[in-house]
Amino acid sequence: MSNTNIPSPPVWTNVEKRLFRFFFLFFILQAIPLSVDFFKTVFGFNWLHISYGDIFNLSRLSAKFIPGTDSFVNWIIVALIALIGAVAWERSKYKNIDYDSFYYWLRVVVRYRLAIGIIGYGFIKFFPLQAPFPSISNLNTSYGDFTDWKIFSMSLGIVPSYEAFLGGIEILAGLLLFFRKTATIGAAIILVFTGNVFISNLAYEGGEYVYATYLIIFALFMIWFDAQRIYNLVSLERPTDPNRFKPNFTGRGKSLRLALKSLIIFFFVFFYGFKTYSGFHHDPYQFPRAKGLNNAAGIYNVSEFRVNGQVLPYAAVNALRWKDVVFEKWATLSIRSDRPVIVDSANYEQVFKNDQDRDYELAGTAGRHYYSYTVDSVNRVLFLNNKNPHYKGERLRLKYERPDSATVILSGTDQHRDSVYVVLNKIDKKYPLKLSRRKALKL
Amino acid sequence: MSEIKQQDTEKELTDYQTTAKKPWSWQKKFGFRVLFIFFLAMSIPFSANWYKNVFTLDWSRPHYRDLYDIARFQPSFLSLFGGQRSRDISDSPSGDESAKKNESPKNKAENGAVKKGEAKNDAGLPPKNSFLADYTDWGIALLFALVGALIWTAIDRKSKSYHLLYYWIRVVVRYRAGIGIIGFGFTKLFPTQMPYPSLGLLNSNFGDFTAQKIYWLSVGVVPWYQVFGGVVEIAAGTMLFFRKTTTFGAILLAAALGDITFVNYAYDGGVHVYAFYFVILALFLAADDFPKLYHLLILERYTVPFRIYPDFRKPWLKYSRITLKVLTFVIFFGVLTYTEVINFKYDPYKQPATAGVKKLRGNYHVSEFKINGQVIPFNPLDSTRWQEATFENWTTLTFKINRPVLIDPSNGGGSPMRDIQRTFEISGVAGGQRAFHYYADTVDKVLYLQDKNVMALRGARKGADRGKQDQPKEDNWISKTAWQHIGDENKMIDKVAWSTRRDREFEEKPREVKRHRMVLKYDTTDGSRVILSGINERKDSIYIVLDRYNRKYVLPKSTLNAGKY
Repeated sequence: MSNTNIPSPPVWTNVEKRLFRFFFLFFILQAIPLSVDFFKTVFGFNWLHISYGDIFNLSRLSAKFIPGTDSFVNWIIVALIALIGAVAWERSKYKNIDYDSFYYWLRVVVRYRLAIGIIGYGFIKFFPLQAPFPSISNLNTSYGDFTDWKIFSMSLGIVPSYEAFLGGIEILAGLLLFFRKTATIGAAIILVFTGNVFISNLAYEGGEYVYATYLIIFALFMIWFDAQRIYNLVSLERPTDPNRFKPNFTGRGKSLRLALKSLIIFFFVFFYGFKTYSGFHHDPYQFPRAKGLNNAAGIYNVSEFRVNGQVLPYAAVNALRWKDVVFEKWATLSIRSDRPVIVDSANYEQVFKNDQDRDYELAGTAGRHYYSYTVDSVNRVLFLNNKNPHYKGERLRLKYERPDSATVILSGTDQHRDSVYVVLNKIDKKYPLKLSRRKALKL
Repeated sequence: MSEIKQQDTEKELTDYQTTAKKPWSWQKKFGFRVLFIFFLAMSIPFSANWYKNVFTLDWSRPHYRDLYDIARFQPSFLSLFGGQRSRDISDSPSGDESAKKNESPKNKAENGAVKKGEAKNDAGLPPKNSFLADYTDWGIALLFALVGALIWTAIDRKSKSYHLLYYWIRVVVRYRAGIGIIGFGFTKLFPTQMPYPSLGLLNSNFGDFTAQKIYWLSVGVVPWYQVFGGVVEIAAGTMLFFRKTTTFGAILLAAALGDITFVNYAYDGGVHVYAFYFVILALFLAADDFPKLYHLLILERYTVPFRIYPDFRKPWLKYSRITLKVLTFVIFFGVLTYTEVINFKYDPYKQPATAGVKKLRGNYHVSEFKINGQVIPFNPLDSTRWQEATFENWTTLTFKINRPVLIDPSNGGGSPMRDIQRTFEISGVAGGQRAFHYYADTVDKVLYLQDKNVMALRGARKGADRGKQDQPKEDNWISKTAWQHIGDENKMIDKVAWSTRRDREFEEKPREVKRHRMVLKYDTTDGSRVILSGINERKDSIYIVLDRYNRKYVLPKSTLNAGKY
C-alpha cells in the first residue's frame, strides 16, 4: 500500500511492447485508407468545386482490399499484415524506440481519424440531409411495404430537429477529439453514441455496422489510455496519477503542428460545415434535383383507366389497373398498383451527385413503381423511365393534358407497348404529420 | 466490504481528514440544504394512490403493473393541493413513455377507464401546456426546498458540514433513479412497450400516422433493438445500486434518458418530463465526480478522491442496509422479471390478450358489399363501403372506409385489463382506419363489435344525446344466452397470467357507454371466405363478403412475438 505522492514513471513490459507494436501497425493501417476507393475519391475530386458529398465520402474511407461493400475480411487482412509487421519489427534494430512518444503519436493519428469520421456523419445530420422528410410517395405507401432500414430513416426524417440534435452531438464529440486533453471525453461520447448506431444498424439491417465497428474500435482505443485512471479514481476512490507525457514541440515543430491542425480543422469543420449548410439549402442529396412537372406535385386518384381501349373499372384486386399516382416536386412519378415490386435495397450511406443515381425514394420499399421522367413541354409528353435497377429499360411514353389544375390525363404507351389512357384526379390528402399536433384531427 | 474499504481510505487519506474537517462556506451549506430538500421531495412519493397501491398489493398473485406502479412516480404536488393535473400513479396511464402529455383529462380517460369505468373517456386532447408549465411540480419542489433551507439555516447554526447527509441523499436518489429506470427497462427487455405492428397498422400508409405513432412503431418493428434498449436502462439502473459503479450508471442514464427526452419533444411522445426527471437525478449523482475527472483528465493533476461514508459496522445500519438492498433486488429483479415474462407471454399490455376466433385471421379483400340490400361496387372514393379488412390474432376486426375519423391522439398505453380499452392498434392512425373489438359467440356464430376509437365515440356522443332517452337503462345488446356462449373475459387468458389486479378490474362494472356497435353473424367454413351480415354502427343492415389473401410484407416478421393467440 504505497501512498506515495511521487509517481514512478510508467515502465513498459515486454508483453506491453509487443502488443503495442501490433496495435500500432493495426491502427495506422486502418487509419490510412489503403484502398482503391481512396485514390478514386481523391483523384476523382474536382478540387476546384468540392462538394460536401466528396468530403463526406472521403471522411468515411477505411482500409479496403476487397472491392464491393465493407466487410470484416478487410480487417482480418489488416490484422495479418500488422502481425507480420510486428514480428519483423521485434527482430529489427528499431525495437527500442521511445514507446511513450510513439504511443502519443499513434493516439494523434487515431483521434484525428476518428474525429474526421464522426464529423463526416455529424454535419449531414446537423443539416438534416441524411434522413430527409419522406416523399409524397413514401407517405402514401403501406407501413408493411418498407424494409426496417427504410422505416428507421423515414422515422428520423419526420423530426429534423432531433436529427440535428444527433448530428450536433457527433460534431461535439469530434471537436473534443481534436484536443489531447478532451479526447477521452469525446471518445466516451462516441462510444455511447456509435454503440447505439451499431446496434440499431444490426437491428434495422442497415449496411453500416462494419464502419460503425470501425469507429467503436477507434474510440475504445482512445478510452483505453485513461480507463485505468478513471476506474482507479471513480470506482476505487484512490488517489490517481494523471497522464505525465506531454509532447514537446519547439521551433518549427510548433508552427508546423499549428498549421496542420488548423488546416484539418478548417477543412473538415468549417469548410465541410459550410458546404453541407449550403447543400442543405440548394442540393439535398437523397432526392433528385431536376424539377418535376409544374404545379403537379401531389397524389392522384386514378378515376379512369383504359388499356387498349378497354375500360378497367375500380377493383379490389387487379394487377393491371393503377390505383393511384404520385407526382413528386422533382421529376419522379410513382404508381401504386397490385403489380409486385422487387425491392431495390441500398442501405448504406453514399452521396450521389447525379439524379439517376439518387435512389433513396425507392430504396427499401415495395408497393409502388418509381419512374424518373423528362418533360417535352412543347409536345406535352412525359418520358418515363423505371428507376429500379430490377426493371431496367422499362419505359413509358405518355402525352399529358391538364384540363384543370386538379386533373391530369395521361395517354400513350406503357412498357408492354399497350396503349393506356389514364385520368388522374388530385386528392386533397392531409397528413397528421404536417398538421398541428395540438388540435383534434379528423382524417 | 465497506468496512475494509473505509479503513483503507482512512489510512490513505490521512491528509484528507483535514479536508473533511474543514467547515463549508455558508453558501455551500445553504446550497446543500436546498438541494437536499429538493431531491428528497423529488424522490419520495407524495400521492395517496401510490401508497394505496403498495398496501393493497396482493403479493401472492402479482401483476407486473403492480410493481411498475411502485417504480413509477414523480413529484405531483399540484394534485395534493387539489389541482387538476393529478399525476398520481394510478391515475396516470403512463404505462409507457408517451402518456405524460395526455396528463390531465386524457389520463383519466385512459386509465381512469380502468378505475371509473369509461366515465371520462370523452375528455380528449392534450392540454396546451407551455414549456415551463410541464415542470410546475418541480418548481413547487424547488420552492419547498428554498423555504425549507431558510428555516433549516435559521435553526441549525452549529453544523460545519453535511458529509453524511450528502451520502444519504445520494443513496435516496440512487435508489429512486435505479428503481424507476428498471421499471421502465423491463417493459422493453421483454418487449411489450412498443408492440410489433398488427395487420391493420401494416396496411396503413406511413403518412396516415401521427409523429408519435411513427416513433412507437419504428421501435416496435425491431423487437431486438427494444430489448437492447431495455438492457441499457436496466444496466444503468443496476449500476446505481452500487457505489463503485454509480457514476458510470449515472452517466449512462443521463445520456440515454437525455436522448429519450429529446425524442419525446421531437415526436410529441409526451413523457419528456418523466424522462428529464431521470436526467436530473442522474446528473446530481454524476456531478460529484465531475470536478475530480476534470482535475485528472483536463488539468492533468494528481487527483485525490474524497468522500465520507457512514460507519456501516454499526449493526443496525449494517442489517437494515442488507435488508433494504436484498428487498430491492428480490422485488425489482426477481418478482418483476417473473411478472414481466408472464405479461410478455400471455398478456402483452398494449395488445388485446384474448385470442381471436381461430378461423378468422388475416387480411381480407372486401369482394362484395351490400348496404340495406343495395350493392355498392368497389370505389376508393366511396364513403360507406369497406375497402379492406383484417381480423387480427386477437379479438379485433379492422376495416378501412374513405370517411374521416377523429384520431385518437393517445399512445394506446396505460394498462387496462379489458381488451376493448387496449387501443394501440388504432391510436394515432388516420386514413379512415377503424378498429372494432368483438366478443365472439362461437356457438351461434355472432360477433358483438364495439368501436375502439374513443374519439369517435366522443364525436358521436353529441349527436347521440337526443337518442339517449330511447335507450333503455339496462343494456342488453348481448343476450344472456350469448354471454354464456362468449364466456368471462377475465378468464380468457392463460391461467398463469391471472392476477388479483385483473380480478379487481373486472369486478368493477364499467359504466355503460354507447360506443359504435355492430352485431354481425359470420359464416365461413375455413376462413378463406367469410360472410358477415347484420347491423352496422349506423343501424343499416349490411352484407359483406370477405376473401382472405396472403399479403407479403417487405418488413421482416418479428422474431419475438408477444402474447399467446
